[in-house]
Amino acid sequence: MNSKNTLIKTGLFIAIIGILAYNSVYFKKLSDIKNQKSSTFNFNAYADSLYYKGILTQSKPIALNALVSQIKSNQENTFKTYGNRLGIGSSAFFMVETKGKVVSIEDGKIKINTAENGIISIDTKYIFGNAIRDASGLVKLTDFKTNAEFNKVSEALNTLIREKALPSTIQKLRIGDEVSVSGALKLSKKENLELKVLPVKIEIQS
Amino acid sequence: MKKLITAATAAYLSSLITIFMLSCSHKKDQEKPKVAVVISTLNNPWFVVLAESAAENARKLGYEAKIFDSQNNPATESDNFENLISSGFDAILFNPTDADGSIANILKAKTAGIPVFCMDREVNSNDAATSQILSDNYSGCVEIGIEFVKALKEKGKYVEIIGLVGDNNTWARSGGFHSVVDKFPNLKMVAQQSGDFDRNKAMEVLETIMQANPDIDAVFCGNDAMAMGAYQALQSAGKADKIKVFGFDGASDVVEKIAEKKIIATGMQYPKVMAEYAARYADEYFKGKRDFPQRVPVEVELVTVANAGNYK
Repeated sequence: MNSKNTLIKTGLFIAIIGILAYNSVYFKKLSDIKNQKSSTFNFNAYADSLYYKGILTQSKPIALNALVSQIKSNQENTFKTYGNRLGIGSSAFFMVETKGKVVSIEDGKIKINTAENGIISIDTKYIFGNAIRDASGLVKLTDFKTNAEFNKVSEALNTLIREKALPSTIQKLRIGDEVSVSGALKLSKKENLELKVLPVKIEIQS
Repeated sequence: MKKLITAATAAYLSSLITIFMLSCSHKKDQEKPKVAVVISTLNNPWFVVLAESAAENARKLGYEAKIFDSQNNPATESDNFENLISSGFDAILFNPTDADGSIANILKAKTAGIPVFCMDREVNSNDAATSQILSDNYSGCVEIGIEFVKALKEKGKYVEIIGLVGDNNTWARSGGFHSVVDKFPNLKMVAQQSGDFDRNKAMEVLETIMQANPDIDAVFCGNDAMAMGAYQALQSAGKADKIKVFGFDGASDVVEKIAEKKIIATGMQYPKVMAEYAARYADEYFKGKRDFPQRVPVEVELVTVANAGNYK
């Protein structure tokens, strides 16, 4: 009888310890912790409005040849007037426009021959980062509570441009087409970067 | 007579208090404002540079400066704040241990009338710190992500070793990287684990992961200390020339390895620039300025074999 009681007591003790242990330890995936930080703000709707009602209608791109020639004559002033750099750094983003003839289309990189600046790369594959958001000059850092939210604007905007706005035009493009392109260009004060435009709009002229 | 003695004592005491207050006020006028530099950890050379640069800049501007080490421990950080508030520091150049947990400390300082300028690490509040000067981790890792996709020719298996889970920089870097890499379905992440920004831990983490995944093609690390740890693990396994390593920070040993084509890329951060601006903002605060931008991103530059020579 005694040994039976001891067995029941031991069993109960183990069960209680088990329940306590099970309920006191929680395992969470790293991705779950990351997702907890997301807000309920609709970044896709915001990006849609920013692109169609802001960038395509309100942005005033500078002609690429005018930008290049002004930078040669007065770099500091041109960066200040036409460039946008949020915070501290030696580079800035510019919203530019240019025209030229398509000379190659390869793996998302379109090369056009322009009258004033020679061959320019239009990168339709790697439209990532904050280049277009910042070149537009339409979104302020203070519009969002954290950098993470501010960066999500770029992600939604880039996805819209890369996956929805541009593909139909890119599919129709052929070598020899005359095109006009507007988009974001990164330039640096301390090194000569390749003239590579992340497009927001490509129009076939002929 | 008794009234006379009481009045004389009161007058004497009052004059003593006045003299004491005057001497205190005179001392205060002569004392340099004191700037506290509170750093998440001094167990990492990158943060040592940040701390020493901040203190040096504050001294150059004519202030006393003292460095406090929070040892990556929010409780130690809280003790540091209690101490510096009671010791009469006038401004804090702050590198937080935790994006959420450190807010309470900043608010304590704010209540005591002490401005706080965050360096490198962001806190999740728009109105606690006077200003936050932060590396643009996200943009830096977008560029690393693009380099990663090109280096792997859009396919392969990879491991991500992230930093401290409670640090916003960890997620900003991971987020920037994945905003690119996740768009390429033939790049498969086989493991994502924290290496706590620590070289030895990253080495151990990668050694363990490789036991289950011996056929990986690349490792992306959330900082250069972990990239060096990962590289060490690969060297020990005899795979250093097959598996591509990517880091973030711009540490001199990693830049050297990039120039030697042993590590593929890193993002160059500028701790000295962040420290300089934080000290400059404190100086401007002492001189009466109050309207500081809440967040000031500092550009991160991509370092590859093509330009590593410029950063040596």
